[in-house]
Amino acid sequence: MGKSNREAGRGDVLFLAAVILLAAFGVVAVYSASSYNAEVQYGDSLYFFKKQLIGFVLGLAAIVGIAFLDYRKLKKLGIPALILSLVLLALVFIPGVGRTNYGATRWIGVGPVTVQPSEIAKYGFVLFTARYFAKDPARMRTFKGILPVIGAGAAICVLIMLEPNMSVTMCVGALMIGMIFLGGVSKKALGVICVPALLLVPVLIVMEPYRLQRLSAFMDPWASPKEEGYQLIQSLYALANGKLFGTGLFASRQKYRFLPFAESDFILSVIAEETGFMGVLLLFALIGFIVWRGFLIANRCDNFYGYMLAAGITLAFAIQASLNALVVSGCIPPTGLPLPLVSAGNTSLVVTMAGMGLVYNVSRHNERKNFIGYTK
Amino acid sequence: MNIKTEFSLSVLQKRLFAVVLAITFLFCIFLGRFLYIQLVWEDTLHYRALDQWTREIPVNAGRGVIVDRNGELLAGNRAGYGVYARASAVEDPASAARLLSRELGTDYQTIYEKLSDRSKSEIVLARRTTKEVVAALAENEVKGVYYSRNDERVYPYGALASQVIGFTAYDRSGTTGVEGYYNRYLAGENGQILFETDLVGVDLEGASAAYIPATDGLNVRLTLDYRIQALTEEVMARAYETNCAKAARAVVLDPNDFSVLAMVNLPSYDLNKIPRDDMDLLNALSRNALVSDVYEPGSTFKIVTAAADIEECLKGNPDALDPMTYVFSSARTRTVDGTTIKCWSDHKSGKHANQTLAEALNNSCNPCFVDIALALGKDTFYDYLAAFRFGRATGIDFSGESIGMLLPESTLRDCDFARIGFGQSIAVTPLQLACAAASAVNGGNYYAPRIVEEIFSADGAVREKMKPALMGKTVSEQTSRILSGMLEGVVRDGSGKKAYIDGYRVAGKTGTAQKYENGAIAQGKYVSSFIGYFPANAPRYLALVIIDEPQGSYYGSTVAAPCAREIFEGIIRMFDIPEVES
Repeated sequence: MGKSNREAGRGDVLFLAAVILLAAFGVVAVYSASSYNAEVQYGDSLYFFKKQLIGFVLGLAAIVGIAFLDYRKLKKLGIPALILSLVLLALVFIPGVGRTNYGATRWIGVGPVTVQPSEIAKYGFVLFTARYFAKDPARMRTFKGILPVIGAGAAICVLIMLEPNMSVTMCVGALMIGMIFLGGVSKKALGVICVPALLLVPVLIVMEPYRLQRLSAFMDPWASPKEEGYQLIQSLYALANGKLFGTGLFASRQKYRFLPFAESDFILSVIAEETGFMGVLLLFALIGFIVWRGFLIANRCDNFYGYMLAAGITLAFAIQASLNALVVSGCIPPTGLPLPLVSAGNTSLVVTMAGMGLVYNVSRHNERKNFIGYTK
Repeated sequence: MNIKTEFSLSVLQKRLFAVVLAITFLFCIFLGRFLYIQLVWEDTLHYRALDQWTREIPVNAGRGVIVDRNGELLAGNRAGYGVYARASAVEDPASAARLLSRELGTDYQTIYEKLSDRSKSEIVLARRTTKEVVAALAENEVKGVYYSRNDERVYPYGALASQVIGFTAYDRSGTTGVEGYYNRYLAGENGQILFETDLVGVDLEGASAAYIPATDGLNVRLTLDYRIQALTEEVMARAYETNCAKAARAVVLDPNDFSVLAMVNLPSYDLNKIPRDDMDLLNALSRNALVSDVYEPGSTFKIVTAAADIEECLKGNPDALDPMTYVFSSARTRTVDGTTIKCWSDHKSGKHANQTLAEALNNSCNPCFVDIALALGKDTFYDYLAAFRFGRATGIDFSGESIGMLLPESTLRDCDFARIGFGQSIAVTPLQLACAAASAVNGGNYYAPRIVEEIFSADGAVREKMKPALMGKTVSEQTSRILSGMLEGVVRDGSGKKAYIDGYRVAGKTGTAQKYENGAIAQGKYVSSFIGYFPANAPRYLALVIIDEPQGSYYGSTVAAPCAREIFEGIIRMFDIPEVES
């Protein structure tokens, strides 16, 4: 490995700027969406804003910290990251450590600090998979070769499913298949993985009655406007109130406690209400830009590990943003899934910003030529 | 050690491209959905959302009043106010509760608890209280406490015309009678005070309340004359008591345009003391049986049979029996289809012998009217029943009108048909009979009967005039004149003598119908009735009097006819009507 090629450059500054801009906008959006509810619930209208601001600063620190590493040194972290993820996910189920909210145990808490392990596990999986395939890309060719990746993905999925958290499970599942696909696995092997995975979805839905209820509520939310349909109806009202140009920043009507989780999972509803369809379009232009640049960075990467890392992290971001938008607009049943970089929630914000820092890091080591072919 | 991978550049790039495509596709789906919701569906959704963004305090519209034809108040309002609070807007529950409990005379603790419970948004503190209490409260200007008009419906004459006027429900919307039928005019439109609030009803900071004023209801003027109504009620109440009857009813019409002057149903009840907790009793007492219930009219129906015969004869129908010259068989019985129909009289020693139509009416001789019906035939006779609107609605502006019961012509047996000639085997409403008789003697004009004259606003301006509506012609003017002459004879010389008033040319027809129960004659149960009007040459007042199940004497001539006379005498005194030459 020639050292001359390893000089770090400026990297994709536009990508980094877009990420920081989006996260900063998220802080503003969280303030707008949460101030009323924060005042009522905590007597401090800045409650969520302050938390988000801390997350943002921590996220910036994470970006800085990671941007100046050599990401290839992270290869060592592949297996430890996976183990850490699984341990954290398992900790959720230990009484006294796990925190239950809204009927699901998704958090672990130490004192005032709570962490959502599933947010960390996504990136743990990316680190592991990138490392595993990069070590011997020939593993891609056989089904047996990709089995450990499926095993890791399945283990994470099962633990998240037990919380329960269907949407994040789906995210990780999609991420797993996406990464195997991006890694270049043969179409035959791909089929062997995809078909059972797709078959599993209806089984999982039928297993838990509440999922079926949500599914029917999503078809006709007004059939149960006070129960299952409530969340979606409130989201639709917010969107409708926004029209083309929105009610103006901070002028949401739905945030006055009508819309549940206005600052987290349904922050996009408030954004759509306050900034209108034009705002939504601009927001997704920015998100689309980040995704596009992220994949571009992957494409320009000269080594397989970097490629998998950048593509995997970008893919996780893209999947989650899309699912959130699909939920908010009522295309799929409501599930608890934050809009990455924007929704309130520090674990998600810090980890996502750190992940994005990693992608930027990859861009700093890219050479100008388009080349993927060698590893190590 | 370098391991050359088998992956070409192009495979990974293709895969990346495929993923970008897939994500673009997803973006297109949800952005399209956002576009649809925010720019197309927006209107419908926004309309629904508006409802949840505001809380409202009602502003009740004042309900229109009901007056008689001369403006006498029959249904009005007594001012009352509801007191409401929005707990989330009350700043000092303790002092507010102290004041409220003092003024409203309710328990402090109860009010304090209500005001402190922020989980509820709008609280009713007093559904109805007086103006004075509200004025005292308003002086102190308690934040979060509101007053809204909530009048009480009052009926100055209590039981007078109670079935016609009807009553209102607790929410002040009309339920029965004119209150119900004309509710859309009387009710007006309630307004609201709208407050912009959050999910649980807490006012938004800086938001102002929107006041949507109420529109008061319009007033209704009846065709009813409360003096005639009161007079008729008095007469009928006496008859109801002296005869120990099951019920006593009367309707007084103006035969020139069928406007209803009085409608009496006894027993009755006080509209200010409605027995709301006894639904069966209330249903029975509040029913306007003159419009809603049917009975077999008996001999009063012979007016219709006679009218049909005269009209057919004048038209030159050879089957009709000439009203002037035809002499009926003197036999007491007629046998139709093997069943025997008897006259109520024994026909002995020259009674009911060699009668003409006029005499048959005077004597109310059933066999003669059997002859007429059979002579005219079912087709012709049923045409007249239709023209007189039997088996059809009269078209009165009142809910729950019955159309009566008419045996279908196609399956009608002759023995039943023969009985229809003298008013049995047919069921009609009293109003149907009164209207049919009115049209038979007013020149043949059948109008839709009316209870309401006009709708007018508070400033007295007429908003809607209910004009007489001609529904059809029943008989010619000539027939009407001939018939009226005969009916005058009934009162002067025949069974209607007890309705005779010297100098006023009263005409009419008695009726005594046997009641049927479960298809058999109910022994000792009769409906005694009399239908009369005056003056015979140009009728101005027509009354149908019905005594249901009188005890003792039961002939219409002795039980019902005197009531009609008393009513007519009362009217004559009331309006100082001069005698007409005879």
